Amino acid sequence: MSILLSRETRVLVQGITGRAGRAQTKWMLEYGTNIVAGVTPGRGGEEVEGIPVYDTVTEAVVERGAEASVFFVPPASVKAAALEAIEAGIKLIVIVTEHVPTHDAMEIRAYAKGQEIRLLGPTSPGIITPGEAKMGIMPGNMFTAGRIGVISRSGTLAYEISADLSAAGLGQSTVVGMGADAVVFTNMPELLELFENDPDTDLVVIVGEVGGIQEEKATHFIAHRMAKPVIAYIAGRSAPEGKRMGHAGAIIHGNMGTSQSKVTALRQVGVEVAEYPLQIVELVRRRLIRMKEVPNGTEDNQGIL
Amino acid sequence: MRLYEFEGSALFRQEGIAVPDYAVTASPQEARQKAQEIGLPVIIKAQILVGGRGLAGGVQTADSLEQVGEVVHRILDRPIKGFPVHRVMVAQKVEVEREFYLGVTVDGYSGTPMVILSAGGGVSIEEVARIHPEQVASRQIPITKGLSLSEAQEMAQEVGLEQEELEQVASTLHILYDVFRKYDALVTEINPLVRTSKGRYLAVDAKVEVDDASLYRHPDFQVALEDRILNALERKGHQIGVTYVDLHGQIGIIASGAGLGMASMDIINQRFRPANFLETGGAISAELLYKIMDLVLQKKGLKGIFINLYGGINPIHDGARGIVSYIREHKITIPIVAKVLGNRQEETWEILKQQGITVVTEVATEKAVEQLAQLLEGEK
Repeated sequence: MSILLSRETRVLVQGITGRAGRAQTKWMLEYGTNIVAGVTPGRGGEEVEGIPVYDTVTEAVVERGAEASVFFVPPASVKAAALEAIEAGIKLIVIVTEHVPTHDAMEIRAYAKGQEIRLLGPTSPGIITPGEAKMGIMPGNMFTAGRIGVISRSGTLAYEISADLSAAGLGQSTVVGMGADAVVFTNMPELLELFENDPDTDLVVIVGEVGGIQEEKATHFIAHRMAKPVIAYIAGRSAPEGKRMGHAGAIIHGNMGTSQSKVTALRQVGVEVAEYPLQIVELVRRRLIRMKEVPNGTEDNQGIL
Repeated sequence: MRLYEFEGSALFRQEGIAVPDYAVTASPQEARQKAQEIGLPVIIKAQILVGGRGLAGGVQTADSLEQVGEVVHRILDRPIKGFPVHRVMVAQKVEVEREFYLGVTVDGYSGTPMVILSAGGGVSIEEVARIHPEQVASRQIPITKGLSLSEAQEMAQEVGLEQEELEQVASTLHILYDVFRKYDALVTEINPLVRTSKGRYLAVDAKVEVDDASLYRHPDFQVALEDRILNALERKGHQIGVTYVDLHGQIGIIASGAGLGMASMDIINQRFRPANFLETGGAISAELLYKIMDLVLQKKGLKGIFINLYGGINPIHDGARGIVSYIREHKITIPIVAKVLGNRQEETWEILKQQGITVVTEVATEKAVEQLAQLLEGEK
């Protein structure tokens, strides 16, 4: 089923009655997402696109068996809504909302710690398993089903790179937007691990960007625990120091968080890093050919079963 | 949002962290009067938000009232790193016996507050950590539990403090953590906290950065955010609700999505130099794109504009109308290349083409930059 999301996943939309919630619910349904309920406090009993709306997440879980939730909730309400969803037993939460206070994000993450739940975001474009389902705002027509896993810190750039891959006949197993803030709920190595263990993924593409240490931390996992090949691109090589480049997490402090630091770290563990987005296609293609040429026993082919 | 030192000091004082006597002023006369009240000698500190003010002459001691006047005049008169100084802090100069570093920051990767304490202050904490790692203690704090006073004391013990020193530093650290939480800070830092010859513990510098995303619940700070953006174009970007970063080149960039904007910048940078980075945010409209065109075109020496947009629920066709009406009204003639994809893209392309904009319908940004290069190099 690729990772985290399939056509069977029973999806709840929190904040379904807002402008973005309504429009995205329509598009997620059209794509094939199994949306079973919506929640907006005080709007229980209504319907959006034929989907029943409840006042609480617990009702949506009990009445409709919701197991995953995508958020179109305003920033100030995200913390309460997330704690409610965790409490109600939701197993996957995708927070699309931008500008969630950092302290709230830290609290949500602390609250979820040790529980059997996966959260993505904040400021995540969502997650899509092409041909099956999507949670979030990714435009379905940019993606095709296939065997490349994509992990991205950015939204629109993930669309573009997936579309570049699709145009070259390289479909995706799942594309995950991990979120663009300084504090995200799920770090890159955890997502790499999911793809490493996924029989439907042969290779993983990382779409990184300047700021933070996600890519640097990922190299440890790649070096020691990952057999599948990884290809990467890091946006922001020409970004100046000390400026937030449109994402809360995309800021270079001195030598920390530079493109060079990330590219060097990734290359040291054998990751091929594209100079420009479109070059990813060529690197992926060449790598897949090499994997097929070596049928047995080497690290290169362990991804293909 | 960074607070000025004087604002941070006021916050510290209010929350129970002692600071030296100080006053804030914009005039040499008043500075002399305040210095007299505070008592000589005093330290005069430029109140600006760029780093490295000490090395740039923005922090000076004055021993006499005449000197106070002179120093204040000089500091107010001379921009630091290109930015004018509007205010100075006149602070009591204390006799320092020992310095400490106290900091609370966000550890993005672990998603927790991180508390750092060092028995050596005054210099950069990275430097101390490298040369005297035994003098530095740091901890990730579970945010739902917070930093207890006894944990702060343990940390003080770890870096070798004892008795009175241990108690005082730990209690200051404990308060500093509470300030971090109470004001939704990304950073609260005292560098240095000093023990004076009279045995007092004072924060002689105050660094506080508040999370922009939390300003709605701190209305006192909210009003001030705009004034702190030093670059005029970046300030204007903030006013219209987009992220604008001023760069040094000739190609204006308008992109939806930060990653796509940075990738556009990187690709353009191969052949030309970007004049700016601009991320539209999620609220595309005719009005917003009109304002964006106006902002981007304020940059001098622009040779071309590169537009790279994706529209989901964003009405890109509406945005295109804003671009076109700006071009018409202001008779813009520099080359413009647009790659605009998403809902109602065909309609959007038509609107742009009719105004003579080069529309690229391929997905890859590289292809669109090639188009721009052809237009620009064809002109030569």
